[in-house]
Amino acid sequence: MTPREQTIERPTSVWPWITMGVAGTVTFIASMAVGPDAVQGQLSRIMYVHVPAAWLAYLAFFVTMAASAMYLWRKDLAWDRRAASSAEIGVVFTGLAIGLGMIWAKPTWGVWWTWDARLTLTAIMFFVYLGYLALRRTTTDLNARAKRSAILGVLAVVQVPLVHFSVVWWRTLHQPPTLLKPEPIDMDTSMLVTLGIAVVSFTVMYVAMMFKRIELARLEDEITEMQQTADVPIAGEAVTAPALERGA
Amino acid sequence: MIGFGSQAALIARRDILRERRSGEVLWVTLPFGAIALLLVPLAVGTDAPMLRQIGPGIFWVVVMLFGVFISIRQTSSETDAQRDQLALSGLDPAAVYFGRALASFLFLLGFQLVLGFVTVVLYDISLEGWLILPLTFVIVAAGLSLLGTLAAGIVATGQNAAALVPLLVAPLSIPLLIGATQALEALQLGRSSLTWVLMMIVTVIVLAIAGVLSAQPLQETR
Repeated sequence: MTPREQTIERPTSVWPWITMGVAGTVTFIASMAVGPDAVQGQLSRIMYVHVPAAWLAYLAFFVTMAASAMYLWRKDLAWDRRAASSAEIGVVFTGLAIGLGMIWAKPTWGVWWTWDARLTLTAIMFFVYLGYLALRRTTTDLNARAKRSAILGVLAVVQVPLVHFSVVWWRTLHQPPTLLKPEPIDMDTSMLVTLGIAVVSFTVMYVAMMFKRIELARLEDEITEMQQTADVPIAGEAVTAPALERGA
Repeated sequence: MIGFGSQAALIARRDILRERRSGEVLWVTLPFGAIALLLVPLAVGTDAPMLRQIGPGIFWVVVMLFGVFISIRQTSSETDAQRDQLALSGLDPAAVYFGRALASFLFLLGFQLVLGFVTVVLYDISLEGWLILPLTFVIVAAGLSLLGTLAAGIVATGQNAAALVPLLVAPLSIPLLIGATQALEALQLGRSSLTWVLMMIVTVIVLAIAGVLSAQPLQETR
């Protein structure tokens, strides 16, 4: 079989789409079923998407770091695909967390944006991981791309604890951690259960998204490899057919 | 075989010689930075008290944004052949990293001194608490040069490399920007600036460790 005749297998798994749909629906129903907050009213419902989105961003960037470290250790491109897929999902959910936070902030604080440590550091984290994704587009050499982005993937994760603990280390307008803290959680039970359902649903959604994105990344890598090898003669340009003398 | 320090000095000397020939920092980046300092008052207004207040902040923003170009200029302008030659030379990749950073450090220090003078003149800045400035200049130059050299090494010569490196460096240089501005402000308000100086020093140490650990894998990436 010549390289031109190579084909790639089309992904057929449907369960990730169904899982994402179910998880999204469960979050929506749970966040609508719970009563409004006594102070913030209906606006508090944003929290059931904002908090899980932020949690997912943390999780995704930690997975990127772990998969990047595994790539540097094992030199297996499968780990690179996991790292990149997770970073991509993390960027989407960081953007979602920032966007929803801004929508919540306008009626609550009176401004779309304020120079608060949590907000500023989250924006910086967003741009650094955008840089990570941009870095992956600078070369088509799969191994070079994997190694460069793995180093950045390991380094960039330092921002996650910075973002999380910024509300503890600095006096900020943003409220301190509600769930991920050593002290007991001070929250209404129905709201806490709803938030828990949303966090679990988003985590399940992340797993499904990861599955589909890794599948897609594998196909992208296969296409890149096929494109790079399709028109290349087996022995390169160095070998040419010998010129035989007539009658020899 | 020459020692680690001599290898780093060799690379630094090479970069300084290249800069002497091209004059990129002296004749392009430095005037461009000065123009930026000149343009800001035209955009925000020429009210003297306001300019006096925002002047130090504007200075550090210009240093961070334009300093990126200084810290990446040699690494990002190298050709593949030059990189190959360097990789085959037997020099310690970590020494190469520190050598490049050392050259950038010296250029950045000069850049800050000249632009600092321009800022004082144009914005009529009070030099109260100026004793912290030499220390701040040194730490910022060290941090920015290490960060720029590391980022330029990661991006190397890929597509859009010249645009991508500043995108990586600018957000990661925030601790240096905050530390530099707050250290001076703290002294002017009669408070200790030790926390801010320590924050910058920790950033520099982290960058140095990251650069050393990634030097070998990055050299093999070619």
